[in-house]
Amino acid sequence: MANIAIDAIKEVTYDAIVIGSGISGGWAAKELTGKGLRTLVLERGRDVKHIVDYPTTVTNPWEFEHRGQLPLEIREQNPIVSKCYAFYEGTTHFFVKDAEHPYVQEKPFDWIRGYQVGGKSLLWARQTQRWSDFDFEGPARDGFAVDWPIRYADLAPWYSYVEKFAGISGNKDGLATLPDGEFLPPHEWNCVESYFQKQVAGHYKDRHVIMGRAAHITKPQPIHFQQGRAQCQHRTICERGCPYGGYFSSNASTIPWAAKTGKMTLRPNSVVHSIIYDEKKGKAVGVRVVDATTHKMMEFYARIIFVNAAALNTNLVLLNSTSSRFPNGLGNDSGVLGKYVAFHNYRARISGEYDGMLESTTDGRRPNSPYIPRFRNVYKQEMDFLRGYAAGFSAGRMSHTNQDGIGASLKANLVKPILDGWYVGSHMMGETIPKESNFVALDGNLKDPFGIPQLRISVGYDDNDDKMVKDYIEQMTEMFTIAGFKNIKATDSKQAAGLDIHEMGGVRMGKDPKTSILNKWNQIHACKNVFVTDGACMTSTSTQNPSLTYMAMTARAADYAVKEMKKGTI
Amino acid sequence: MKRRAALKNVAVAFGGLVSLPAWAENWNERSVSLSSSYFSPKESVLLAEVAETIIPVTDTPGAKELGVHNFIQKIVADCMDKKNQEFFASGLAAVDTAAQKKFTKSFASCDTGQRISVLNEMEASPDQKGFYSMVKGLTIRGYLTSEYVMTNLTHYEMVPGHYYGCVPVSPKK
Repeated sequence: MANIAIDAIKEVTYDAIVIGSGISGGWAAKELTGKGLRTLVLERGRDVKHIVDYPTTVTNPWEFEHRGQLPLEIREQNPIVSKCYAFYEGTTHFFVKDAEHPYVQEKPFDWIRGYQVGGKSLLWARQTQRWSDFDFEGPARDGFAVDWPIRYADLAPWYSYVEKFAGISGNKDGLATLPDGEFLPPHEWNCVESYFQKQVAGHYKDRHVIMGRAAHITKPQPIHFQQGRAQCQHRTICERGCPYGGYFSSNASTIPWAAKTGKMTLRPNSVVHSIIYDEKKGKAVGVRVVDATTHKMMEFYARIIFVNAAALNTNLVLLNSTSSRFPNGLGNDSGVLGKYVAFHNYRARISGEYDGMLESTTDGRRPNSPYIPRFRNVYKQEMDFLRGYAAGFSAGRMSHTNQDGIGASLKANLVKPILDGWYVGSHMMGETIPKESNFVALDGNLKDPFGIPQLRISVGYDDNDDKMVKDYIEQMTEMFTIAGFKNIKATDSKQAAGLDIHEMGGVRMGKDPKTSILNKWNQIHACKNVFVTDGACMTSTSTQNPSLTYMAMTARAADYAVKEMKKGTI
Repeated sequence: MKRRAALKNVAVAFGGLVSLPAWAENWNERSVSLSSSYFSPKESVLLAEVAETIIPVTDTPGAKELGVHNFIQKIVADCMDKKNQEFFASGLAAVDTAAQKKFTKSFASCDTGQRISVLNEMEASPDQKGFYSMVKGLTIRGYLTSEYVMTNLTHYEMVPGHYYGCVPVSPKK
């Protein structure tokens, strides 16, 4: 009997467990298997195999039953996810439906989720800027949250490491606010964008318009061919899954790479309930999982655990991992678990028109656009708000058709586009300040369909964000005016937090276990064999997109974890 | 319904052992089956004639041949709220009423000139121009997003393969 029990435990024991298969979980899987660890990757959603499970990837516009528009019933049943720009008839299968995975909004929070192998890495907007020391030193300088335990120099080699594998296009711009990376050739500018770049450079010393840095293979290298990936074909329907592997996703890149090692076991439909802490051993020993199909609870064991469930779900898993040693959640001696959640402020956008350069237009499509790095409060505090904002910018040529009349003349006119002038547009991406009052917690009564407590989300804007919106609108209006753009219109969408899909924090890194959960290696201060390297680990939010930083941190943490395992310290 | 049913048939053909891909299970049965029976056959014929009047056959196919009325029916049935559905249905009924009143025959029996005059009158009427602009807008959308137009006339490219930021405006455009 005893032997049978031992064998049964062996069967569910691995060297490492990775919770989540999205952008950071995929990297954890690749790095850990690559270093020889038998790794179990748990994904709460269904499997999505590269190409095979992209049902709409080659669907033509006329083949969609409603030509892309969503049926009313789907919109009514999904008021939250229907607000997401990428949710349409071609992508519903990659988004969580509101009713299936409920949560509690203490304040309005549009939680956009992708529960499947690859997670939101199938759906992201693929902007990949490095963070700089202006970002990592921000909390200490400006006196909010806690000091980051790392600096740019700690991550720089890891940024290089992940950039080369993922394939990041961009231009070396030499800006202090936005360190250069290992770039494939940048995407092309159009004439009005170049014109705006020059206008801004001519008027401001400290403001720059650069080409966006994006996870697109503009010129494949041998490492990309080895992954089975090819050059970006400019389809700009990335969110349906790319059959070329032209943009980076876990599905196209890290997960199959991990699978090739023969060391990975991928288990979809595995909703993680909690991490099992062994009080005698003084460490985590495994993970409790609810099988999404059978609703049966099961356990898996490993020496190290990487938590990459996506920021808020990582909070949920840790909060739900209670024991007598950790009655308030795993590693939560400080009481800050679930607190200091922050996000990006995307509320404001601005548009305008330009009536020059009418002899030129564009041809093809570009899955990227120019970018304006943060220029406020960079070297010193100069405004009445903390931190700053970056901005997207793009221009394009407009056209219309004459739709007057009826019959044959109307029909002929419909296929003769009349070229109008250029439109220009921009949106802000503001840093929000992590605060104790922006938090997530477990609901005391409500459970999800798997019997796990629902997450209560209490995260919103503050006065600092309002001031930033106002300044963005003023500054962009000024820059557009200087460039001679006309019909400038700015709007504050007042969209709820969450719709930016950049939620971060709750399991923050820090030097002091009394005020943070993770140390400089993304390791839980009080439970050293558990690592958190997704958005939950972020101490502050910067103005840059966060995904590339998650990738770099994950690779760095995995390297450290395996070295420590070999030393026998964890 | 069609794709899902087709997949199910495939599953049956393989002895019922093949399970549907998971993404197919997420399809909403009602939303994909609703549209086929939403309009009565008579309404469907009338809608096809209205669309054909707006975009008629010339040396290229018109709205009817391209099934634009089927697209409109799907949008009305699946994507519109009840208020707009009723607005659309009563507008469609008004087309026949107007034809009967003006030419003492159904819209479908009218010749092209008569049909145009019925629709032009609707466009000029404060009560009916809302319906007319709705049906015209849907007809144009259905036409421009049809396979025939996108492949033969507007030359949609699924895979452009490039982006050129500054090219001269071609004189034809």
